[in-house]
Amino acid sequence: MRLWRKPEKPKRRNAATPIALFLGAKLLAYSILGIFLGWIGSVLQLSPYSRAALQIGIGIFMLGTAARLFNLHPIFRYFIIEPPRFVTRFIRRYAKNNASTVATPLFLGTLTIFIPCGVTQAMMVLAVGTGSPLLGAAIMFAFILGTTPVFFGLAYVATRLGEVMHTRFLQLAGAVVLILGLVSIEGGLNLMGSPYSFSNLLNAASVSLAQASGGSPEVAAQPDANGAITIQVYNTGYSPDLIKAPSGKPVSLTVVSNGTTGCTRGFVIPSIGYQRTLPETGQTTINIPASAANGNLRLHLLDGHV
Amino acid sequence: MAKQVFTVKGMHCSACVMTLEGLEDELAGIRSLKVSLHKQRAEIDYDDKKIGEDEIRRAFEGKGYGLARA
Repeated sequence: MRLWRKPEKPKRRNAATPIALFLGAKLLAYSILGIFLGWIGSVLQLSPYSRAALQIGIGIFMLGTAARLFNLHPIFRYFIIEPPRFVTRFIRRYAKNNASTVATPLFLGTLTIFIPCGVTQAMMVLAVGTGSPLLGAAIMFAFILGTTPVFFGLAYVATRLGEVMHTRFLQLAGAVVLILGLVSIEGGLNLMGSPYSFSNLLNAASVSLAQASGGSPEVAAQPDANGAITIQVYNTGYSPDLIKAPSGKPVSLTVVSNGTTGCTRGFVIPSIGYQRTLPETGQTTINIPASAANGNLRLHLLDGHV
Repeated sequence: MAKQVFTVKGMHCSACVMTLEGLEDELAGIRSLKVSLHKQRAEIDYDDKKIGEDEIRRAFEGKGYGLARA
């Protein structure tokens, strides 16, 4: 009979499993949230102008978020949405009182959608701006997947690296959000057909410079005698991309796509309220009335880029 | 009993708020701890016979945040 029994080694708790479950649940929850946000954006997408207003609003929110990250002024702290106190209290108490290594990290990972940080909120707004559940999910999935190691690392080393590195990280995040905000506002202005977008101002400046130097900046295509003109749609742009038509006469614009799969299929002419996703292969004819064919008509992609 | 408003340094998001409000459960003597991200302030109701201001400040610093009297 064995009287002495070797003491069992205390079971070492595997810390990787709950972390992996937490991050997996967070990734899945945010991707599902992205589907929902993209769907909201698609519902809100009524016309090029409403979409433009949405994109400009998103851009302003992002600029405010960037200003908050740069710590420019206390007023910019209001560019973050605080979840209700009962939500944060519930998450905190749940984490404290539940020790399951499977259910708890899964549940808490899912609940992180209720406590997004400022940059995540900016991405959520961007997901709304895509107007597509698939793209919304893709944005959130890529953002969470890409930033998880950064945020995890930052949280781990934040107290060790000190204030200087922490501030630099926030400034870097602010710079990224600032650029995204400007891109969003630029897209919104283009969708509205505004001549004051950065790309349109740049075009106008290059035309002025070319005229001042006595040259012609671009050769403009012209419609035929019947006012018809054809544009080829490629994956990366349109040809011709500059058309000069006599003012006050109707124009019949035929847009031809041939195996086109790029974002150029999202075709918008803000001035006449035209918005359509072109077929991959096919012809689409747009009749521009004489009343509209007066002045500059700008053609854009659905996301507002020229 | 003491009720004091403090300025908190280093908060960036609601997760920071949640972390700091968790001190309410961790520190004996804290009756209520409300943190505002927008105002960057903490309103702390505590029993000054059980816990002192220095101890609360050290707890905040231990979480990576600064605390000073508003």
